[in-house]
Amino acid sequence: MTLPLGVTFDAFTDFGFWTSVGILAGTYVLFTLGLQLNVGYTGIVNFGQAGFMAIGAYAMGVLVVKAHWSFWLALPTAVFIAIGFGLLVGLPSLRLRADYFAIATIAAAEIVRITALNLRDVTGGNQGLFGFDESWNNLSDQITSWLESLGWSDPEQLFPLFIVVWVLALIATVLLHFATKSPWGRVLRAVREDEDAARALGKNTLAYKLQSLAIAATLGALAGFFVAINLNFLTPEAFLPAFTFIGYAVLVLGGLASYWGVAAGAIIMWTILEGTRFIDLPISAEREAAVRFMIVGLVLILLMAFRPQGLFGKKEEMVLGD
Amino acid sequence: MEARSIPSAAHLPLRERVRELPAVRWARLHPESAAAGVIGVLVLILIARHGLHDVAQTSLNGLTLGSVYALGAIGLTLVYGILKLTNFAHGDFLTFGAYMAFLVNVTWGGPLVLGILFGMLATALMAVFLEKIMWGPMRARGAGLLQLLLMSIGLAFLLRYTIQFIWGTKVRALDVNVTDSVEFLGLRIGRTELIVIGIGFVTLMAVGLMLKYTLLGKRMRALSDNFDLAETSGIDTSQIVLFTWILAGALAGLAGVLAAEVTNLRPEFGFALLLPIFAAVILGGIGDAFGALAGGIVLGLVTELSTLEIEPRWKTAVGFAVLIIVLFVRPQGIFGKATAI
Amino acid sequence: MIDGTAQMEQSAVGSRPSADDGGLILEVEDVVRRFGGILAVDGATFDVAKGSVTALIGPNGAGKTTLFNVITGFYRGDRGSIRFQGQEIVRRPPYVIARLGMVRTFQITKALAKMPVIDNMMLAAPDQPGERLYNLVVRPAAARARERAVRARADELLAVFQLEKLAQEYAGVLSGGQRKLLEFARALMTEPTMLLLDEPMAGINPTLGARLLEHMHQLRAERGMTFLFIEHDMEVVMGQSDKVIVMAEGRVIAQGPPDEVRRDQRVIDAYLGGGAAIGSEPRR
Repeated sequence: MTLPLGVTFDAFTDFGFWTSVGILAGTYVLFTLGLQLNVGYTGIVNFGQAGFMAIGAYAMGVLVVKAHWSFWLALPTAVFIAIGFGLLVGLPSLRLRADYFAIATIAAAEIVRITALNLRDVTGGNQGLFGFDESWNNLSDQITSWLESLGWSDPEQLFPLFIVVWVLALIATVLLHFATKSPWGRVLRAVREDEDAARALGKNTLAYKLQSLAIAATLGALAGFFVAINLNFLTPEAFLPAFTFIGYAVLVLGGLASYWGVAAGAIIMWTILEGTRFIDLPISAEREAAVRFMIVGLVLILLMAFRPQGLFGKKEEMVLGD
Repeated sequence: MEARSIPSAAHLPLRERVRELPAVRWARLHPESAAAGVIGVLVLILIARHGLHDVAQTSLNGLTLGSVYALGAIGLTLVYGILKLTNFAHGDFLTFGAYMAFLVNVTWGGPLVLGILFGMLATALMAVFLEKIMWGPMRARGAGLLQLLLMSIGLAFLLRYTIQFIWGTKVRALDVNVTDSVEFLGLRIGRTELIVIGIGFVTLMAVGLMLKYTLLGKRMRALSDNFDLAETSGIDTSQIVLFTWILAGALAGLAGVLAAEVTNLRPEFGFALLLPIFAAVILGGIGDAFGALAGGIVLGLVTELSTLEIEPRWKTAVGFAVLIIVLFVRPQGIFGKATAI
Repeated sequence: MIDGTAQMEQSAVGSRPSADDGGLILEVEDVVRRFGGILAVDGATFDVAKGSVTALIGPNGAGKTTLFNVITGFYRGDRGSIRFQGQEIVRRPPYVIARLGMVRTFQITKALAKMPVIDNMMLAAPDQPGERLYNLVVRPAAARARERAVRARADELLAVFQLEKLAQEYAGVLSGGQRKLLEFARALMTEPTMLLLDEPMAGINPTLGARLLEHMHQLRAERGMTFLFIEHDMEVVMGQSDKVIVMAEGRVIAQGPPDEVRRDQRVIDAYLGGGAAIGSEPRR
């Protein structure tokens, strides 16, 4: 069906489109779960999540391509490097107040990105880093064979990635759900509510904030792997601060205190963002890209103005107002 | 009974012990002198390694960059001081001002001066417009700080990508003379760079005088220092708030145009400047306009001087590194007051 | 000054064995805290005997809460020594001091408003393996068992202060007086050796207030718990405390048994000079 101005909605019935959206949404669930733990449960405003993504992705890529490590060994190593970086940045900066911490984390993330951009010999800089996904492709083929053995003929090429992303996203969601209901989670919430009260009761609040940041680093690194695999190559452009802010848009869309909200927010956000790519508007590709981000900005503004608890949050548990 | 000073620091954590070292204690009590001393020593080291000519030449570039940083920082710090708003859209005010100047100077072919004035005016008007439809109403509703911060991020996106929608990602340039240069004292500087420094410094001086000696300026500083106290003394806060946005917008617009004169116009360039501007604000002590001015100049100099030691493409990382160091060592900035813990 | 000369002769470095020297649990000496140009605490020196109930009084702005903040590590003291159970604690982080057994409450209550009352209580219990991620993974049964025990204790304490019906409510819906009680009960959950209470009676009705005091004396008698509280209610101060410390303008101007202090000319001057007579301080 073609509307006036040449707008078509054909893409929406294309399975490949939805797989693509699903991969991005799933990646962002992992990414944003980290933000939710930080902001929603611990009260720390982490604006450097894209930096953790970059460290995870580049550490993995460089270890595989330049140091010839096994992919399966590089993955956990990259996660540890991301955690290490998180602790390094967090130790001095978590004692700062919220907005200073936010700025410090952006600065740290940008230092990571600029390093990736300028260490051309190691990271490939703007030219990009290729060739780390051979092991993944093997796994992907195995999953495809398994799907075919279940009776599905010629499955979508990216579908195995979709499966893996969402399996991990669901595992992460469930684990975090249990962790935040535990006594450990109770201390986190106390830190968010009133850090001095928690300290007066003998809790080492800095340690808890560091743990929260380390978990966010892990989730960020995992998201980074999927970004790398999805793109087939690594470029610093994929880790701009803008992506952290998209994560925040997902977070506030879904409601800060709800895990299912994160998944819903991610799906909605990426349907919108990818959807505008496939509606054939009679404007240039560059302008379409601009429109997508204009929408993100508008969503953030409107949500903050009219529904700061997000689509699914409860007003009583609203974390954003002070 | 003789008063005892602090007992031995053996039981304290490392951070506390470092604070008690005599040199560190002196620096904490005399931050401006300590900062000047550190910078002075670094400059002397650079002169020893590279010679006075190179250092002076690079410093000129640093002053160009520093003027842009300072102009951007004053607006950002005043908005924070008076409204407690960390405005992440401030960088895009610079972009907006630059593109407005582009409109006049290139698209309509007008003289650069007109472009500068138009850029400042348009940005000031936009700042006031946003205060009326967005910031004012949100404050009246008692919006939280994180809420406003996220809103400013949304605004930053909206501004930047609207600009990208209209003008595209193609790199543009203002109609300025990029080849002519001036020589003095054995140093060479581009004519345009010299103009930027000139306009920058004249404006900074004017703003400084305004803030120090005019009634409006004193009131702005009073509000920035302690809003409630100033309000109870009968100052019309809404009027001051309005003027603050006008000043912040105009200075940001000017900073954007000046930056565009020496580099190029891309939709992201304002946001790229935002982090160094934050660094300048924090370096000088947030909420302190004179601190922002000094912080901006110092940061510009440090960033450019760093190119004597490291490759130029790492320049931007220097600003961020300074920011992080300041946040860790003295978050209230050089001129800020010490707070409880 | 009681035991002043004895203090001068003691060495300051490191911890001394046990708190039974002279029965002093808290020794504060020449503590100074400056804010900009103002000396909020100007050389405060006093001590508190183990198992005693001590009141800290003084006109508004005397520096009492600031002193609490310095003692418990929330403010960094500019000078001075603070010894708790013989250990130097000046400028140690607040959570360390709390774990050593000195727990404080706040003048403006810090009930965690967006958390249920029961969570507020259970949070405070010490030695919870479930608070460490490692234990959640490796020793979940131990964590669960302790959680059950903590829950039982929390319910018990809530009942003592008649708050058990509010256990599932968000602490934010409690009245001011109820929050004061919650904060007291929560502090007790930590099983402290010494409690520093900042205006514990403010906003509480007389019946419950009496209960709180009764409980305080019971804890003192049964467990040897020490209490130091800031109060403006002179009946409570004079009637309940073993010793009264008076502060004015950042300094300790008198300390001793209630009867002695109330007759001390310097104390009378301090209150009259501040425009108020002893016993007529408005309750906040």
